[in-house]
Amino acid sequence: MSARLTEPVLRVDNLGVRFDTPRGAVNAVSGVSLTVGAGEVLGLVGESGSGKSVTLRALMRLLRRNATASGRVIWRGEDLLAAPERRLREVRGREIAMIFQEPMTALNPVLTIAQQIDESLVAHRNLDERARRARAVELLDLVGIPSASVRLDNYPHEFSGGMRQRAMIAIALAAEPSLLLADEPTTALDVTIQDQILKLLLGLVADLGMAMILVTHDLGVVAETCDRVCVMYAGRVVESGPVSAVFASPRHAYTHALLRSMPSGEAARQPLTPIQGQPPRLDRPIVGCAFAPRCAFVMDACRAATPPLMLVGEGREAACLAADRLAALETVA
Amino acid sequence: MNAVAASAPLLEVDDLGKSFTLRRTAWDGLRGRAAPVLRAVNGVSFAVERGRTLGIVGESGCGKSTLARCLVRLLEPDNGSVRFEGVDVLRLEGAERRAFNRRVQMVFQDPYGSLNPRLSVGDCLSEALVVHDLARGPAVARRVEELLDLVHLPRDAADRYPHEFSGGQRQRIGIARALAVEPSLIIADEPVSALDVSVQAQIVNLFLELQERLGLALVFITHDLRLVRHVSHDLAVMYLGRVLETGPTERIFSAPRHPYTQALLAAAPQMTPRRRSRDEAVRGELPSPVAPPPGCAFHPRCPIAQPICRERVPALEPRGGDWPVACHLAGSGAS
Amino acid sequence: MSAALPEDAAGEISGRKRTRRLRLTRVPAPLLAGVVVVSFFLLCAIAPEAIAPYDPIAFDYTALLSPPSLAHPFGTDQFGRDILSRTIAASTIDLQIAIFATIAPLVIGTLVGLFIGYYGGWADILFGRLVDLVVTFPFLVIVIAIVAVLGPGLFNMYVAVSVIGWVFYARLTRGEVMVLQQYDYVAAAKVLGYSQARILFRHILPNAARPVLVYWMTDMALAILLGSSLGYLGLGAQPPTAEWGVLIADGKNFFSQAWWITVFPGFAIVLCGIGFSLLGDGLADLLDVKR
Repeated sequence: MSARLTEPVLRVDNLGVRFDTPRGAVNAVSGVSLTVGAGEVLGLVGESGSGKSVTLRALMRLLRRNATASGRVIWRGEDLLAAPERRLREVRGREIAMIFQEPMTALNPVLTIAQQIDESLVAHRNLDERARRARAVELLDLVGIPSASVRLDNYPHEFSGGMRQRAMIAIALAAEPSLLLADEPTTALDVTIQDQILKLLLGLVADLGMAMILVTHDLGVVAETCDRVCVMYAGRVVESGPVSAVFASPRHAYTHALLRSMPSGEAARQPLTPIQGQPPRLDRPIVGCAFAPRCAFVMDACRAATPPLMLVGEGREAACLAADRLAALETVA
Repeated sequence: MNAVAASAPLLEVDDLGKSFTLRRTAWDGLRGRAAPVLRAVNGVSFAVERGRTLGIVGESGCGKSTLARCLVRLLEPDNGSVRFEGVDVLRLEGAERRAFNRRVQMVFQDPYGSLNPRLSVGDCLSEALVVHDLARGPAVARRVEELLDLVHLPRDAADRYPHEFSGGQRQRIGIARALAVEPSLIIADEPVSALDVSVQAQIVNLFLELQERLGLALVFITHDLRLVRHVSHDLAVMYLGRVLETGPTERIFSAPRHPYTQALLAAAPQMTPRRRSRDEAVRGELPSPVAPPPGCAFHPRCPIAQPICRERVPALEPRGGDWPVACHLAGSGAS
Repeated sequence: MSAALPEDAAGEISGRKRTRRLRLTRVPAPLLAGVVVVSFFLLCAIAPEAIAPYDPIAFDYTALLSPPSLAHPFGTDQFGRDILSRTIAASTIDLQIAIFATIAPLVIGTLVGLFIGYYGGWADILFGRLVDLVVTFPFLVIVIAIVAVLGPGLFNMYVAVSVIGWVFYARLTRGEVMVLQQYDYVAAAKVLGYSQARILFRHILPNAARPVLVYWMTDMALAILLGSSLGYLGLGAQPPTAEWGVLIADGKNFFSQAWWITVFPGFAIVLCGIGFSLLGDGLADLLDVKR
């Protein structure tokens, strides 16, 4: 599953997002470049304020009015950031679909699930009414909603949290998109339901040949679902690579510290290894590596200039001057 | 059980129950139906020893937060007893109740809602000291500094207001406030679930350190299994208002006895990418706590459910093992 | 997450200096305007004789009904009394009305709302019905009815307004208190064994006060309007007392020849009302506390 040498379906070049707030400009995302191959699951992981969700929204230009995006988002040879609004509407939902953290706010409360799936089918596919109904039942079946033909006529509030998330996935899948953007899709769910939804998404990606970008703050979710991972900190990608390689031996000091701070659940009553301090403010210029003030491996050079992303292994990049020292460390437990 | 022995556990909860009557819809009223009753906590019993940590885990609707609020009497339980050092705290009133409050404190989940925005950190901490007459005059300021040291906040934090702090720092202030009255037990209700992972670790370590230094007992309520293993000596797993399994944390983690505990452990995301599988840990949805399934509440989702599970509520008993479990099939070799 | 990002990123300790600087240099413009206007009227109210160019009740038969001029900027009335001086002198009574007609409702209503919001129970249910009853009647009509029973005069007007007015403060406070009760800092105060008085007056009331104070400012503006209306109708301040509503009523018979007699006191009412409203808005900004 891990080594794919297919042409990427989505390529992001040097993406930047700036918010103009009354208190000044906030550079939420800077210089983010990434690729997603067909059928690949890419994890975008980081803590709050790391810019992971903003990055995801910027791909489809779903940003608030005070935001300015720069760089390029190449989808099938076309720059989505430069595309006209009309073309973007074709792409949204049909070629690239999105699911959100809180289905209750993403679903329309006054329309039944059937109507909401139908809306997407009418907009993006050429089917008559009966065929659309049949397709809607099929979709609910696909996402594991029992007695689909009955539940189809329910309103969102008649579903439980997990079922709502399934319904939202069904709506997203209606137009058979080739890329699914998932913004913390399981953060609001209980563990056993999160497990079900993650397994469902994995199955759908494999069966339908979709690619997926999964934004999450939970490294465990990344480990369970993603092929590759981009770790973000203070609006930048600091490390990327295949999940198994990154987890086994991280090459950025932040990834290293983040993995170590996670409760592994394998040791009883042992202190954790936290990262001291807090992430930097993004409304001020950051000189050097943004992680330097909290870093255990920091050197003078880190504070002088932002380290560039460098190749640190097969398909792996890290923006860390201590990458070699980290590579020499024993693997993180 | 009534003897106030020195060896008695610090906190002893027996058959605790708390129900909420929900609003009746007009339609239900017309049909003469009674208002629905949510049994948030149902027959819960456990004990906490001095200086030890009991972890309570469960998913939403399992009643863990209601339980926490019953323990500090923010809610009045309907039945059962809560004994602190052998004294039934549910009967305490007036000065005795305030004395109990001093000994059992609570740390809350929401770092933004748990501090009065109009009180500076210093005022917030000294208020607790002055009300309980734990310090006077210049000793108050000294004690506030001590408390800030204890939770690793800079001393000048005393002059600042809650909005000037990050989530993790606010949680430290909340902990300092609880420590101000020198409690011997702290009930922590999801104290880190609103925080980022790297900050979570800071707060978890603080709890471990404080427990060591002050000999505190801790009831640590969380939905995060990975976390609970790091903090607790003992564990109670809750599902729809009941405790399904309780025992030493390490032993439950290595050999869970209840099918639900097994499912919870399997569902928690693993940090090792290689062990990935596409099999669901447990099927089905969480049932509504207003209309829980009959018999064992877990039976509709249970992979090994038998007819008896639909009919009878299993009691929390050792069932031939070293710790109690509420499963008809435990000890019979089926699990 | 995108929405919360700037705030998230700003959660640093250095926030302290920012807020202090904010408070000193960026006093909100509406607040500044409100303070200036209300202070001016307060000054007029406290020392009218120091500001007014003429004696407000001195007749001047050489200048009857004279239009605004340099000598009489607001003109004179049918007895030659200076309208500017009378308008200034009237502010004493009108600001008294603003305060006396609202202070009892403010105090009583806030306390009632605080207790009802905190304790709930049957008192809350009873209060709900009372609110329904009061809001279905037009406020002015009830006040007029009460004054009609008690007899005209300022004191009876205060009584009439207070009998009804506290309900609005109580409703506002009750709602705030019910929301605040959900906050964990109130739960923390209970767990710390604080007395109910301490929880109510130190932890809940200060956080519930903002909308009440803002409403009070608006209410003072409304009270002036009401006082003027009743004065105009002859139910409030009695002539010869200079009161804006009475001044307007005095001028109504001469409106076609001497518009200035009614228009300038009218302006005073409007300006004073705007002043209190701005003060209320500004106060809302100033008292807003970040959570």
